[in-house]
Formats: sequence, C-alpha cells, structure tokens
Amino acid sequence: MRTPADIEQLILKVGLGDRNAFSTLYDATSAKLFGVCLRILNNTAEAEDAVQEAFVRIWQKSHRYGMTGNSPMTWLITLTRNLAIDRLRARAPRTADLGDVPDMRDPGPTPEAAAIAASEAARIGSCLDELEAPRADAVRGAYLKGESYQELAARHGVPLNTMRTWLRRSLLKLKDCLSR
Amino acid sequence: MTATDERRDDDIALAGEYALHLLDADERRAFEERLAREPDLRALLGEWEEHFAGLSAEIASVAPPRHLKPAIEQRLFAAAKPARPRRSRIWLLGGLLTAAVLVLAFVALLPPSRPAGPAYVAEVAAEDRSLVVAARFDPVRGTLAVDRLAGGAAENRVLELWLIAEGAAAPVSLGVLPADPQAEIALAGEIIGLMAGGTLAISDEPPGGSPTGQPTGAVLAVGALSTL
Repeated sequence: MRTPADIEQLILKVGLGDRNAFSTLYDATSAKLFGVCLRILNNTAEAEDAVQEAFVRIWQKSHRYGMTGNSPMTWLITLTRNLAIDRLRARAPRTADLGDVPDMRDPGPTPEAAAIAASEAARIGSCLDELEAPRADAVRGAYLKGESYQELAARHGVPLNTMRTWLRRSLLKLKDCLSR
Repeated sequence: MTATDERRDDDIALAGEYALHLLDADERRAFEERLAREPDLRALLGEWEEHFAGLSAEIASVAPPRHLKPAIEQRLFAAAKPARPRRSRIWLLGGLLTAAVLVLAFVALLPPSRPAGPAYVAEVAAEDRSLVVAARFDPVRGTLAVDRLAGGAAENRVLELWLIAEGAAAPVSLGVLPADPQAEIALAGEIIGLMAGGTLAISDEPPGGSPTGQPTGAVLAVGALSTL
C-alpha cells in the first residue's frame, strides 16, 4: 500500500468516513508527515501537536481532495506543511535550534518516499542546481524549514527587500526550468 | 516583454511565494481572495505545490510516538457519541443484522432475474442510521433500484447518489435521489463497468445537485457494493 494510487484510494475512502482506511492512511503516511512537521518546527512536542492537527484536518477535508487536482502525497504534505508553518509563525521569534531533533537529512529511500513521484523530486532538485547556490539555499530554507523573508534576509546578510527580489527572480528561473 | 507577460510573471512569482508561505497575512488573504475566482491562478499554485512537494523527498520520515494515533482516533471518533461509549459493538451487531435482513428482504421481494452479469446490492447508511438507503442493481435492465428506508433530504436540499469506483480518482454522480422513497435510476453502460468493488455514497447538495460534478456538501451515508 505505498503507490500514489494506493494513497489516493485511501484518501477517497477516508473522505467517505471509512475509519479503517483512515487507520491505514495514518500508518502509511504519518512518518513522512511527522518528518515534515519536525523539520519545520524543530521541536518534538510541537511537531506531535501539528501532525495530530493535520490528521484531524485530513479526516475532515478528504472528501474535497478530488477538487484540488493535487497528487495524493502533495495534498497531504501541503496540508500538513501549512498547519506547521501557521504554528511556526504564531509563536514568538524563532527560538534557537533546540538540539532535540536528530539530523533530518534523508538517510535513504523510505517506503513513503516512493509515493512522492521520484521524477518530481529529481526535477525540482536539478532545477534548483541551476540557480546560484545561496539562492537555491533560500528556496530550500523557505520550503523545508518554513523560513520567512526576515529569517532568510538575516541568514544571508542582505536587506529584506533584496531578499524578496532575489527570491522572486529565483522562482521565475525555477519555473522556467521546470516548464522545459 | 509585453504587459501580459509581466503580469503572468508576477503571478508566477506570487503563487510561488504563497506556496512557500512567504507572504505576510494581508498579502496571503488578498491572494486567497483571488484564488477563489481565478482558475488560472489556482492552476499555477497547484503546479508549485506539486513541484515543491518533490523537495519533501529530502525530508526523512520519522515515526511519530505510538500514543499519537490512538489520541487522534479518540479525538475524532470518541467525541462523536459520548452518550453511548459501551454500546457500540451491540449497535454494530444490530446494524449488521438489519443489513442482512434487508438484503434477504430484497432478494425475496424482487423477481428473480436472468443472469446477465453480477447483481450488486448495497446498504447506504449513515453511522447513526438517520439515513438508510437500500440499493440493488439489476444487471438485466441496467437500473439501480433505490429504497429510502430512513431519513431524507433537509429542507431546500437534495440527496445525491455517488459511485466511488475502485481505483477511481473521484466519485461519479449517479444522480439526485427523487423525492419518492422508492425509485429506479438508469445507469450508463460505462458506469455499470465500474461497480465491482465500488462504494455508493450519498451527499447533501443544493437543489438540482452538486454544481461542480463532485460532492460539495457533507457525505451523509456510505455503503460498499457487494455481489449477491
């Protein structure tokens, strides 16, 4: 039960109130989604709350999944990431890394990762490589860690408006590459 | 570069910023208002979300602590009926017996049909049984007989019947249930081919049925199709 079609089937069943499907969907995807929350929130307790909220939302919103047009893992990840970032933005200025989270670099392929189209991962990776390293790093930081313009500007030592101009230009280049 | 290109570029960057969660609260709200009425912008955002989700492959999976799953299920499912926490099994048994009786009743009441492909039956029921519809597919006539045994549409609303085929991306509408409790719905040939392993569902919709072709209101009742 790991292909995108399997995950999609589970989401559709969850949309119809199928609790068994919800349980299976949780088993199949919670590790990936917890990983996403941990990376953004960098705090285990908060990540637990966020992933819990995400699955409540998945239960409530899955009947609308078909309308979004997203692939199933994208739908789950986008929903979860948005909740985690809302939580991140709502808290006081970012605390220093707490050190209670292990290194989140992927140690290797995981079963869940197979459900994210490998081609999509390779495409965005190679298109990011076409950008200058600091700019690719800014896009990665914004997506993976939920860094704000303020945080990105501070980390790269540039004024906020410069960072925004940088990033918007990077997005256009990226889109250009991704559309090829 | 023309003005149209510039505007398009602006939207590409804006949708990317939105997907990354880089916009401030006001910009976010303004973007969401545009999203609601601009399909092109929704498509742009969808593309970004799909691209960026590819980056999630860089994130390691970490199994959440074991207590989390029961906590979520407790939060979602236990709160729904706190008044009868211990009767659920008995209730379930009752439901199954009722379903079995219903299926038997159908078999007994309907005239035997010539074999022409499998006959499917489903009991499409709400969890609290506030809405129960028995459905039986007649393979000879290509029609679905529905019998609404309990419940009905809310005032100024209708009930719409859906088929969720196994492996399908989205439900297919079988039409709005008529006001009469008993009715027959003619099914197109391609829909009949989707019934094996499928599920029927009923959603609450505005008069005339879902305007989008997909369920827009609450899914009120569900039931798996099985062969007789």
